[in-house]
Amino acid sequence: MTLPMSDLQALFPELALLGLLFVVLVVDLIWRPGRRLGWWTAIGLVVVLALSLTQALPGEGRTIWGGMLRHDGYGFVFRMLFLVGALVTTLLAMDVKDLGDKGAFYLLLLTSTLGMMLMAMANNIIMVFLAVETASIPLYVMAAFYPKDKASTEAGFKYMLFGALASAVLVYGLTLLYGLTGATDFAAVVEALQAATRPVWMTMAAVLLLVLAGFAFKVSAVPFHFWAPDVYTGAPTPIAAYLSTASKAAGFAVLLRFVLAALPVSALPWWGAFLAAMAAATMTVANFLALAQRNLKRLLAYSSIAHAGYILIGVVAASHLGVTAAVFYLVVYLLTNLVAFGVIVALESAGGTSEIRSLAGLYKRSPLLALFLMTAFLSLAGVPPFSGFVAKVWVFVAAVEAGLIWLAVVGVLNAIVGLYYYLVVLKWAYVYDTPEEEMARPVVVPKVQAVVLGVLSVLIVVMGLVFAPWFAWGEWAARALVGG
Amino acid sequence: MVPTSFYIFLAALLFTIGAVAVLVRRNTLIIYMAVELMLNSANLAFVAFARQFGDISGQLFVFFVITIAAAEVAVGLALIVTIFHTKHSVDIDAMHELKG
Amino acid sequence: MVAYWIFALVSLLMVLAALVAVTNRNLVRATMGLVLVLFGNAVLFVLLEAYFLAVAQVIIYIGAIAILIVFAIMLTRHVGDAWGPAFHRAWAWAVVVAGGLAVGLLFWIAHWPAADGKAKSPVDPQYTKLLGKALVAPDGYVIPFEVASALLLAALIGAIYVAWGGRRVKGPYPQRSEEKEA
Repeated sequence: MTLPMSDLQALFPELALLGLLFVVLVVDLIWRPGRRLGWWTAIGLVVVLALSLTQALPGEGRTIWGGMLRHDGYGFVFRMLFLVGALVTTLLAMDVKDLGDKGAFYLLLLTSTLGMMLMAMANNIIMVFLAVETASIPLYVMAAFYPKDKASTEAGFKYMLFGALASAVLVYGLTLLYGLTGATDFAAVVEALQAATRPVWMTMAAVLLLVLAGFAFKVSAVPFHFWAPDVYTGAPTPIAAYLSTASKAAGFAVLLRFVLAALPVSALPWWGAFLAAMAAATMTVANFLALAQRNLKRLLAYSSIAHAGYILIGVVAASHLGVTAAVFYLVVYLLTNLVAFGVIVALESAGGTSEIRSLAGLYKRSPLLALFLMTAFLSLAGVPPFSGFVAKVWVFVAAVEAGLIWLAVVGVLNAIVGLYYYLVVLKWAYVYDTPEEEMARPVVVPKVQAVVLGVLSVLIVVMGLVFAPWFAWGEWAARALVGG
Repeated sequence: MVPTSFYIFLAALLFTIGAVAVLVRRNTLIIYMAVELMLNSANLAFVAFARQFGDISGQLFVFFVITIAAAEVAVGLALIVTIFHTKHSVDIDAMHELKG
Repeated sequence: MVAYWIFALVSLLMVLAALVAVTNRNLVRATMGLVLVLFGNAVLFVLLEAYFLAVAQVIIYIGAIAILIVFAIMLTRHVGDAWGPAFHRAWAWAVVVAGGLAVGLLFWIAHWPAADGKAKSPVDPQYTKLLGKALVAPDGYVIPFEVASALLLAALIGAIYVAWGGRRVKGPYPQRSEEKEA
């Protein structure tokens, strides 16, 4: 059997990323470039991104490599999104001491990104499991990247323990699905389910609950969210940024494809209602817990759980508009949350902490950083000119279109609660002055971080004002998944 | 030939023993072993199903699960040893650095 | 008929060993219980005519994973003879959850659509060769195979990084040069 050239080309981004991984490994071994390795990685990622956009654009969706993967617009949008996430994380982490000067960090980051890209393409339960693990195992190490720091090791350890448990549950669920259908390929699974002559709802329920528990862990949806605040707080901040954005988006990428391609909501009458309840619980629990937080990273962790709830609304709707809205939301959320965490990275590298208190007087100490913080937080809160507002509106519209008006109402009420705690943080940055002379020093932001945060902030505003081109990407992705 | 359902029953039993242990034990090494137990029970069920369907390639899933379990154990145990060095305990209740 | 007896014996042993593994306070004994379960699994793989997996199970799980666990126990010594309660405070709550899980799973088996029935085809004598070919066939499992190797590399790097405590290795013999400096 010869190598199928078109399949190789479809997999170009992953192969190029693997090549970059090899380059970084060799460069690190030979020259020990320390912090400059960040430039190697970043430039490499830009090259991979640019070449992928020109070389590997999918046309009509098709399965490749014997049905293991699916090359379509849906997977492509997510794959490019993960590359952007890795790029931004690299640039943010470069100037962080003991992180950006370590080769292992870049290697683990790239491997994890490779796993996420495969998660977005996976079309077979074997591939789903492998991709999820390839994305997760490097992340366990990355969360524990400061081996002498108690908080960091504990974060990595907790993440690893809960992650291993979640993957065991996921494997069991996939095993039952295989036992039910005798197939590992998504299309064959659906076929076998439709051809089933005896009622299978009991088995389906077990499969759905186990598999959903595994995925809900990845996207940190209630009641599998409890790890997120601890891990985000303890992990090095750039890694928390990566965890809360790319890793979560990857979880949604695989969840959406799984729900729509392998286990359609129509397979079980209560499946949709169950997901809807999960979305409502995720939003509400997270938003109320966020109100009490005093640490910025912890607050952002609860906020990211709440956002998982909003995105789940799009999954519940499971329509063309629902998927479009979910994908658009994920793109906006990834950029916005990277800015929010990026501001904390900048504050920490200037000697500050992630306590909300330490934001006091930020508008004087670093007007630029305060501006980035405001852009990110207002977008997260869903205030009109920013892209977060557009994303929320579309998700709620998708819910109404699918006849889930109550869910849209819960979402809107939650957005109002969310607005409160985001504004409290901004009040610290803009209204309060710091009494201590010590904390009143101006914050010096490394140039790279300032440029990255600036570009992303502009994007957040632009995407809110002119959302059509970006929304078209979401539609392209949705067409590949649900047609229409 | 032993019916497939016998194997599935055994797998379910082992999975439940593992799940209970994960929830109630305090020593993280034991918890980790219990997770391995759960993975193993899933493997057993998968092989039994694969035989049922006469689907040899179904066994490859189990091969990959075993491979990944090895990777996960390497990372997991390294983390357990590290946490022992920082905290001098592997008790789950000693993990209280991060509370909000 | 022999197969039934073997199954009965092995499964009984596995359940008992699993109970030892998760209830014993002595970590070494618990590990031995786990090894017994893993070995029982290999025996059942042979019964299920999955010979390759049986060998892989023994080599990887017992030969590598169990040994790693023993090493971890040695490195975290003093924990072997644990103090204080062995069980978490919330154990009662956990038992309820797990009980629900057990009932659900057992109920599920009773309803499993194809629970009885014989294997469709006897095992191909070329079985191991087929598995090997499927692992590297472009229309088979070559992608998962390659991804698994990338993952193993990353896990290796990660585990070394964590275990080394993030120390920077400067020369080929780091300890020696550090000693000289001291």
